[in-house]
Amino acid sequence: MGNLSRLFVRASSFFSKEIFEILRQPRLIATLVLGPFLILLLFGIGYRNEAPVLRTVFVVPAGSPLETEIEKYASDLGEQLDYRGATTDLEGALAQLKRGEIDLVAVAPFDAYSTIRYEGEQAVFTLYHNEIDPLQADYVRYFGKIYIDEVNRRILRAITERGQEQSISISQRAASARQNSAAMRDALARGDVVAARDYQRAFERDLYQLETDTNTTIELLDNVDATLGGDADNSTEAVRSGLQQIRDNQAQLGLAGDSNFDSDAQISTATQIEAELATLESSVADLEAIDSRVLVSPFRSETQSVAPATLLAQYFAPAVIVLLLQHLAVTFGALTMVRERQLGTVELFRVSPISPAEVLVGKYAGYLLFGGVVAAILTAVMVSGYQLPLSGLGSLIGTDTLTLGLGVPMGGNWLYFSAVVFALLFASVGLGFVISLIVDTDSQAVQYAMIVLLSSVFFSGVFLRLETLLSYVRAVSWSLPATYAVQLLQTIMLRGQAPSVRLLATLFGMGVLFYLVAWLLLGRQMRYQAD
Amino acid sequence: MATERSDVRSSSAEIDIHAAKLTKQFGDQYAVKDVSFDIPRGKIFGFIGPSGSGKTTAVRLLTGIYPPTAGTARVLGVEPMNFTQHLREEIGYMPQLFALYPDLTVWENLNFVASLYGMNFVTRRKRLRELLEFVELDKDRRKLARSISGGMQRRLTLAATLAHDPRLLFLDEPTAGIDPVLRRKFWDHFKTLQDSGRTLFVTTQYVGEAAYCDYVGVMTRGQLVLVETPQGLRKRAYGGELVDIVFKDSVSERRHLQPLQQFDFVQKQLPRAVQRTGRHNARIVVDDAGAALPALMKWFGDQEIEIENIEEHVPPFDDVFVEIVSKAEAEMDAAEANHG
Ligand SMILES: Nc1ncnc2c1ncn2[C@@H]1O[C@H](COP(=O)(O)OP(=O)(O)OP(=O)(O)O)[C@@H](O)[C@H]1O
Ligand SMILES: [Mg+2]
Repeated sequence: MGNLSRLFVRASSFFSKEIFEILRQPRLIATLVLGPFLILLLFGIGYRNEAPVLRTVFVVPAGSPLETEIEKYASDLGEQLDYRGATTDLEGALAQLKRGEIDLVAVAPFDAYSTIRYEGEQAVFTLYHNEIDPLQADYVRYFGKIYIDEVNRRILRAITERGQEQSISISQRAASARQNSAAMRDALARGDVVAARDYQRAFERDLYQLETDTNTTIELLDNVDATLGGDADNSTEAVRSGLQQIRDNQAQLGLAGDSNFDSDAQISTATQIEAELATLESSVADLEAIDSRVLVSPFRSETQSVAPATLLAQYFAPAVIVLLLQHLAVTFGALTMVRERQLGTVELFRVSPISPAEVLVGKYAGYLLFGGVVAAILTAVMVSGYQLPLSGLGSLIGTDTLTLGLGVPMGGNWLYFSAVVFALLFASVGLGFVISLIVDTDSQAVQYAMIVLLSSVFFSGVFLRLETLLSYVRAVSWSLPATYAVQLLQTIMLRGQAPSVRLLATLFGMGVLFYLVAWLLLGRQMRYQAD
Repeated sequence: MATERSDVRSSSAEIDIHAAKLTKQFGDQYAVKDVSFDIPRGKIFGFIGPSGSGKTTAVRLLTGIYPPTAGTARVLGVEPMNFTQHLREEIGYMPQLFALYPDLTVWENLNFVASLYGMNFVTRRKRLRELLEFVELDKDRRKLARSISGGMQRRLTLAATLAHDPRLLFLDEPTAGIDPVLRRKFWDHFKTLQDSGRTLFVTTQYVGEAAYCDYVGVMTRGQLVLVETPQGLRKRAYGGELVDIVFKDSVSERRHLQPLQQFDFVQKQLPRAVQRTGRHNARIVVDDAGAALPALMKWFGDQEIEIENIEEHVPPFDDVFVEIVSKAEAEMDAAEANHG
């Protein structure tokens, strides 16, 4: 019993000592906690997840129909495309690009209309940019493509609309053909051969015109159908077959006054043609009913998330908590035994009855308690969303409320949250201890702690998703406590779900592993001083 | 007095510290070489030697901080590298350098060390307060250790070492940087500890402190030159006790000095047993000044040689120490020259 209480007293010696020591070093706390926190906060406030605006000049070939119309299509494409005019001078535009006055040069093809309309091909825009940042270059490619697609679409729409205007004349033409056919029939019935011949000629002109116009429109519509993967539309098929029948019947028509002219047969064929023209008219009306915008861009996307909605700053909040806590715990751990060695106190421990395990337990307890308090404060700041009214003062800085706290959602269970924070601190302190026992000086210890922080920023999935890393780099990720804790806290806080038991257990197991390694190393150092 | 010296070796009392050919090498350099001694329970053993002579290394070997390169040590019957937890509670170690926490207060530091030794939270308060009063830091107990003076840090370290009331104490220069009054108080306390049966191993550079010790070991260049009682130390330094004579007339070699060689108590084997030290002064080395003085006074009277003064000269330990160390080093150099 006496032994047990002594054991407790010995372990507790470090607990209170570490806490006192930390509290006596407000500057250390400030640089370790407040510094990184403010940096991340500033990032959270200042980071705009918006694409930069691309200043764009369009180069249009002289004499091209686009020369007059590009402004109509390109000047109001979207916020990220700043239309800086059109020119026919490619060299000049490229020079401007090189001087950094503009970000993008879009070169239009010579004759977009005929390419699209008559050759049924896409007109190709060429984009020039002047980016060295590969991410930015990707962005330019991506947004350039989106905007140029939009230009393509607008031109296509114009063509389609023109086609539709034509289709109005198609229905008129069909009506006119029907009227001429009917008039011819009347004339034949009256026996007025001369008039019948005139009407028949007029009818055949109409029919020819009708055929030409209709074919163009149908071809365009077929192209749209093919691009969109639909099969030949019912209405275009109906128009096509209707026209064919009319043409077949028309071939049977004789010319009034010819030798073997059969007036009765002529009348019945004309009646049939008129009926077919009536059908054709309604088919063409179907075409007219389709909105050109729908024809050209039939899909519109609307995203719906099955996860709760999150703002960007809120999304990063759990990761920030994790990074700060890990950095804090690793640094404290990394400094602790180095400091003892530098102060010479390790010599005292070695002569005293305290065991390595007692040293570790006492120190761990101190750091876990301190880390826990910091975690609580940090979380309170993140999760609360109190709006402090600033009344008059606010006008100076252009806002009338100051939000205390970030209003980060906490969807999950606080018990899970605490378990993750505990496991994170446990593993991080352990990692720090291992560092502490393999380095020689405190500046080395701090450097190692910074390396851990740096790798965490890059590899723990905070800013770059793990999926973007190669598998062997991901091994680095999974050797960092932060990687586990970020995923766990995101699940708990943002999704409001129970954490993955496997991840939590692995994180905790990692802590146990670090503890054992630290215990072995400290045991060796406390047994005797290496020469 | 030579009998006292053999006492150290052949004492039937329990030996708390035993060293046999204890050796510690750092690279090529011997910090401690072939050091052997036994320290009985309840004695104060002073370890004196110039800076770099290996005192601290010896303490570290005896407390298990360093493993020895060769030789053995037994402390409380156990090799230091195999100390049990229980045994460590019986040992107190005061390192030479301040090894406490600058960011903790005097009181917190003391409490910390008391906890290291598992001292009960409740009962230790009174003892720690007493210790602080003893080292005269009671009023400063709320100050941070970084903001107290070097001497105060020494005192705090001593208090921390005494906290768990160890049975065997290793004190590495406990009085360095302490004022003479407090130093006296410390040694009085060490004597009190000794009286209650504690054993103390104390290193020091203040040779005068040798007087407080039961035995003094003199170290130089990693070697233990001798182990002596403080009185024996003087004899060893000069080959005997010293008698100073002041003659009325100027000293005559033939009339005053040569005749002195006849006495048995004069250490004639020494090259300079009788030596003129001034116009009227002479110094002779005798085996026992107490016996020699009356005999000399009688002889001077018989010979009608007028003397102004005759007395035993007790050289300060500093001189004794310098004498011993320089002799030992000269011998080491000579031995080395012979080998080389
Ligand atoms: N850890 C070490 N590594 C290398 N050499 C050492 C080490 N410790 C001591 N020495 C060397 O051993 C010798 C004895 O050193 P030690 O500290 O024991 O002397 P000391 O008698 O205590 O001196 P001082 O009175 O100045 O404290 C010195 O020459 C020192 O340089
Ligand atoms: Mg020393």
